[in-house]
Amino acid sequence: MTASRNAQEAVSHRRHLMARNTGTLLERRYAMLGVMLIAPTVVVFCAVIVYPLLSAIYLSFFSIFTPTLQGDFVGLNNYAELLSTGTFWSSLGTTLIWTVGTLSLQILFGVGMALVLHQNMWFRSLARSLILFPYFISTVVAVLVWKWLFNDLYGIMNHFLISLGIISFPMDYLGTMPNAMISVILVGAWKYFPFVVIAVLARLQTIPDQLYEAAKIDGAGPIARFFDVTLPQLRDVLVVIILLRAIWDFKEFDLIFLLTGGGPLNDTQTLPLLVYQEAFALNDMGNASAYAVMMMLIMLVFMLVYIRRTRSEEET
Amino acid sequence: MAAVVFSNVRKEFGSFTAVHGLDLNIEEGEFVSLLGPSGCGKTTTLRMLAGLEFPNSGEIRIGDRIVNDLAPGQRDIAMVFQSYALYPHMSVAQNIAYPLKKRGVPAAEREKSVAATASLLQLTELLDRKPRQLSGGQQQRVALGRALVRDPKVFLLDEPLSNLDAKLRGYMRVELVELHRRLGRTMVYVTHDQLEAMTMSDRIAVMDGGKLQQFAPPTDVYAEPANRFVASFIGTPAMTMIDGELTEDAGAWTFNAEGLSMTVGPLSGQAKSGPACLGVRPENVSVGEGPIGAVVQVVEKTGHENIVFMQLPGGHRLTARAPAMQSWQPGEQVKVVLDASHVHIFGSGPRGDRWNRPAQSAAPSSAKATPQIIASKNTKADPKAEKAAS
Repeated sequence: MTASRNAQEAVSHRRHLMARNTGTLLERRYAMLGVMLIAPTVVVFCAVIVYPLLSAIYLSFFSIFTPTLQGDFVGLNNYAELLSTGTFWSSLGTTLIWTVGTLSLQILFGVGMALVLHQNMWFRSLARSLILFPYFISTVVAVLVWKWLFNDLYGIMNHFLISLGIISFPMDYLGTMPNAMISVILVGAWKYFPFVVIAVLARLQTIPDQLYEAAKIDGAGPIARFFDVTLPQLRDVLVVIILLRAIWDFKEFDLIFLLTGGGPLNDTQTLPLLVYQEAFALNDMGNASAYAVMMMLIMLVFMLVYIRRTRSEEET
Repeated sequence: MAAVVFSNVRKEFGSFTAVHGLDLNIEEGEFVSLLGPSGCGKTTTLRMLAGLEFPNSGEIRIGDRIVNDLAPGQRDIAMVFQSYALYPHMSVAQNIAYPLKKRGVPAAEREKSVAATASLLQLTELLDRKPRQLSGGQQQRVALGRALVRDPKVFLLDEPLSNLDAKLRGYMRVELVELHRRLGRTMVYVTHDQLEAMTMSDRIAVMDGGKLQQFAPPTDVYAEPANRFVASFIGTPAMTMIDGELTEDAGAWTFNAEGLSMTVGPLSGQAKSGPACLGVRPENVSVGEGPIGAVVQVVEKTGHENIVFMQLPGGHRLTARAPAMQSWQPGEQVKVVLDASHVHIFGSGPRGDRWNRPAQSAAPSSAKATPQIIASKNTKADPKAEKAAS
């Protein structure tokens, strides 16, 4: 009896071990499959993100002539120079003015338009699709049209303002300050506010009607309902929008480059334009890389806030 | 505290009429349930009273004020929503205080009222929590607290218990009745759950198809349903309905259906010969001895009683309640008797009126015409059913 019981136990023990072995084997095979599946992405990611990033950091320690890519190791000289001369700081200031200015207008127009489009209007679906138009249009096309509108000789803006009697002689929208900065900020706001509209509208549609009804019964008027129901509900989505758009606006290149090219003088020269100028106009790749790395560090702060924000949202 | 009066109130949504000329007179301090199936107009009625919908015609009064054109905040009402509608970013205390804040009550006074309401509803421990940190029952109490804190004239409750589990629902029913007794405020309660309406209300307004079907105390709605709709909607298991013919012979009425024939009455002046419907509640059907033959189809055992579903020879179905110790097998042939004094006769159609004479006036005449049950010829022999039973 005892012998047979022992034999049985031994068999069951062996089965148990086998089950565990096949389990780990299966798990290992799944892990292998996982690695194989993400491998192409990792390779592409390394080629187009990690390599350029590392080489930019590497280049920033050299003084390099762009056409030949030849130069000498200068250590942290590029950084010391950019921090001590005014170009970087004034360009950073311009970038901040542009980012804060255009972002504020985007949020203001975007939230306002989303609230309008959330109302029951008979042309709502049409308006909702039309509002996306500036966001989808190519930047080059948009800038060409705006340059035409802004033209000081034959532009419709001057024609309008003069015929309305607001100004008495044509204005130079892109050639003087602060007009150039205001124009760039306005065109930026026009181009990118639809993104805010889409995101805010999507959130507005998920706010339960009963919250508004409860607020009505509790005695809240339309303004109180906006501040006590709508805005708190929009808060999370607005934080994400502001962070994302801040990152995107901070690195905006084509719109400003095409509209003013950084002028008049260097008054609308944001950091991305400065990097471009250093690299391809002044042919100093090392210095340009140092500017680019500094820009990346500043954006890293936004990135970290964004990541922390989205992570804490997932947790709640 | 105030009475609520609906006078010929009509509400249309496009071509759909949600409420047809409603007249309803709710007395001061009364607990009234609006009961009916989905789409019957009960919620629209409540929302019109709240000011969230506006009637197309008619008049709504709260106390001595016509409120048709008043915004919800000016009507001095409070409402508890089915989804509770708590402000998610506010703490429990802020949620409860919100209606006071919007009415400009000073902070110190607000705090006092919130504390009093919280202790009444046992929410004191939870005042700093956010709604998402609360269970369904706790959220429900916060929603009640937000309604109670202001001491409004009328409380409106829109299916407030339907998101709770069965046990908590039973508990909250008792709590609400107790709260109503303590506060003595007018409460209008919308529900599709007849058990809630029956157990909590002073009066029930049964609605269907946007029309008021009956407005009466729960016992009356149960014992003397105004029409066939009310009769079949109230009561679980539902009242058995048998369509047949009503005939009159010198003031005595007989109801005939296949497999069933019985003397009924006394009936009101409305009654007329022709198609009619006989209704009988399961507790008024006795299985065992009797003149009617039936075949048992299903026996549902609830523990304290058995619900017996049977079929009459003509194909009509009949439901009976029986004590738990009595049981039958499906297919078994049984004898059945209907309690003639509790049989209802309705006019034909889904909302046919009840033709029985009201209880008070029926009492003296019932002595004269004792109802008796006559077994129909058809019930005597049904070899097929007998074979099936064996």
